[in-house]
Amino acid sequence: MTRVIRIIKESFRMVRNNRLRGFIMILGIAIGVTSLAMTVCVSVGVYENVMETVNKQGPDLIQVRPGTDKFNSPAAGSREAVSLRDEDYEAILQHIGNIDSISPVKDRKEIEVKYEDKNTHTRIFGVNPIWGRVRDFNAIRGSFITDEDVASAARVCVIGQIVKKNLFGDADPIGQTIQIMDVPFTVKGELESKGTSSEGRDRDDRIITPFTTYNMRVFRDSPLSQIVIKVKDIDKLYKTVEDVQAVLREQHKIETGEPDDFTMRTPQDLIDMAYGTSRSLIKVLTIIAVITLLVAGIVIMNIMLTSVSARKSEIGIRRALGARKNDILNQFMIECIILSLMGGILGTILGYCGAIILSNLDVSASNLTPLALAAAIVSCCLIAVVFGIYPARKAANQNPVDILRG
Amino acid sequence: MIKIKDIEKTYSKNSVETKVLRGVTFSVQRGEYVAIMGASGSGKSTLMNIIGCLDRPTKGQYELDNINVLQLDDDAISALRNKKFGFVFQQFFLLERTNALDNVLLPLIYTDEYPADAIQQARKLLVNVGLGDRIEYFANELSGGQQQRVAIARSLINNPDVIIADEPTGNLDSESAAEIMKIFSRLHEERRTIIIVTHDRDVAGNAQRILELKDGQIKG
Ligand SMILES: Nc1ncnc2c1ncn2[C@@H]1O[C@H](COP(=O)(O)OP(=O)(O)OP(=O)(O)O)[C@@H](O)[C@H]1O
Ligand SMILES: [Mg+2]
Repeated sequence: MTRVIRIIKESFRMVRNNRLRGFIMILGIAIGVTSLAMTVCVSVGVYENVMETVNKQGPDLIQVRPGTDKFNSPAAGSREAVSLRDEDYEAILQHIGNIDSISPVKDRKEIEVKYEDKNTHTRIFGVNPIWGRVRDFNAIRGSFITDEDVASAARVCVIGQIVKKNLFGDADPIGQTIQIMDVPFTVKGELESKGTSSEGRDRDDRIITPFTTYNMRVFRDSPLSQIVIKVKDIDKLYKTVEDVQAVLREQHKIETGEPDDFTMRTPQDLIDMAYGTSRSLIKVLTIIAVITLLVAGIVIMNIMLTSVSARKSEIGIRRALGARKNDILNQFMIECIILSLMGGILGTILGYCGAIILSNLDVSASNLTPLALAAAIVSCCLIAVVFGIYPARKAANQNPVDILRG
Repeated sequence: MIKIKDIEKTYSKNSVETKVLRGVTFSVQRGEYVAIMGASGSGKSTLMNIIGCLDRPTKGQYELDNINVLQLDDDAISALRNKKFGFVFQQFFLLERTNALDNVLLPLIYTDEYPADAIQQARKLLVNVGLGDRIEYFANELSGGQQQRVAIARSLINNPDVIIADEPTGNLDSESAAEIMKIFSRLHEERRTIIIVTHDRDVAGNAQRILELKDGQIKG
């Protein structure tokens, strides 16, 4: 048995011998670590949520929109609403190199669609296949539009669940021909149901057509509602954003100093949107965690100092019997770390419970991740060392004769 | 084995200097049993603390087994206390809420050569001081005499060269004191070196040699 192990064993024995002190210290740390673990669980949960959103929409995606609002389309009929044109799309294609795939997007609402004797009004989109992938619109039956459909301007479409219900009821729509603005289109797929979007739009009430078909056969010369760009080199994404901006300003003949009449949505904007109010919650939680950890530290220091004076004769006896200053220091530090870790474990469990309660209040909180555990353990040890070292030093530096004389 | 020469110790408190030891010189041979006597406040404990390396003199020389003790640093001094000395104090100084066995084992925490049979050794020492039936008792569950016997067992666990006892019977009734002195006599027969401080002439009578501390110096 080496000296270190003997001192560790002795520390455990002394922890057992001073239960009340230990209990208070564990409680102090547990409160601090609870708030820390909760903060980490919530932060990780929110972060995962954000990343899921970003990854679903594509971390390599740039969306160009007319107008100046990143998340809302400009009012119909305004000058801004028609600022993005086919020529802009072509200019981007021509001048921007870092493009993996690109989709111009056009859409119109309240378009009449007929099948046999039934009719309905819905929103029509003209897009490239990449749009389906980045927007997560997939065919659950049949297939989505393909590059060949776009290349040949095929009169095919994919219909949303509401459209299917309105026109076909329970019948199978695949292969049937519907009339969009009196142009016949073959239904080649059904979109999976997406429900209502965060902006309140019913995302099942729509028809997707190839961009070329839409542009040439249905609505000539209408403005673009969006351009979706998937970049090739994600590291150069923000450089590409600047390049696209420059191309479009040139296209729109915007003088230096004048504002853009278009906006670009980047993954960073998605991150900002997805964080929403969670950011301020995390800030508040972090501040609480820091304060409670600090209080925990002060509790440790206070209890350790009291304990050092209460255990003076013990220290004197140990020193007389051959303990070095460092042996005393180590013993007190190990006792402090043992209690801190116990408080840390308790706090982690409590923090996890707190995070579960928060997640029931509509805050995303992750499970007890290794990160939360590691944060708890590291912070405990750190607090124990930072706030325990002074009392432990004080214990070690006492003169044995002075102690033994009383 | 102990050579002390011209030891002086001066305490200064509130800028008043008190010279407690004024040139103490004496030697102790291996296996000797020495008693130190003197009036209260004459500096006996001060001297004992210096011999036991718990304190340093203001001036003088101290050789222990040809080691110049006063040159050693704090860690080396601690190791020396652990290896060479067994301490018995008037106030016993056992750890509370710690049983007799663990108290006896205490010095072994800080030793460099931890014996494999430490627990058996400790038990044997407790049996030898007549506490075979009190091994699991906590210090506060023992009488004064019993506590002092635990302290003696503890002072022997490291197989020390010198046993230093500062008024070991000072807090005991005459019956317990007699038992303690019997143990010391037995240790002397086992060729241990013992230095004992006492007020009691009868207690000092057990020793081979009596040193009288007076006016900060050894007389006699
Ligand atoms: N830390 C200290 N500071 C100042 N003076 C001290 C200190 N320690 C001891 N003294 C003084 O030194 C003198 C000797 O003390 P010491 O304890 O050695 O006496 P003693 O002979 O052991 O007495 P007793 O028989 O009562 O135990 C006393 O006058 C005491 O007041
Ligand atoms: Mg004394």
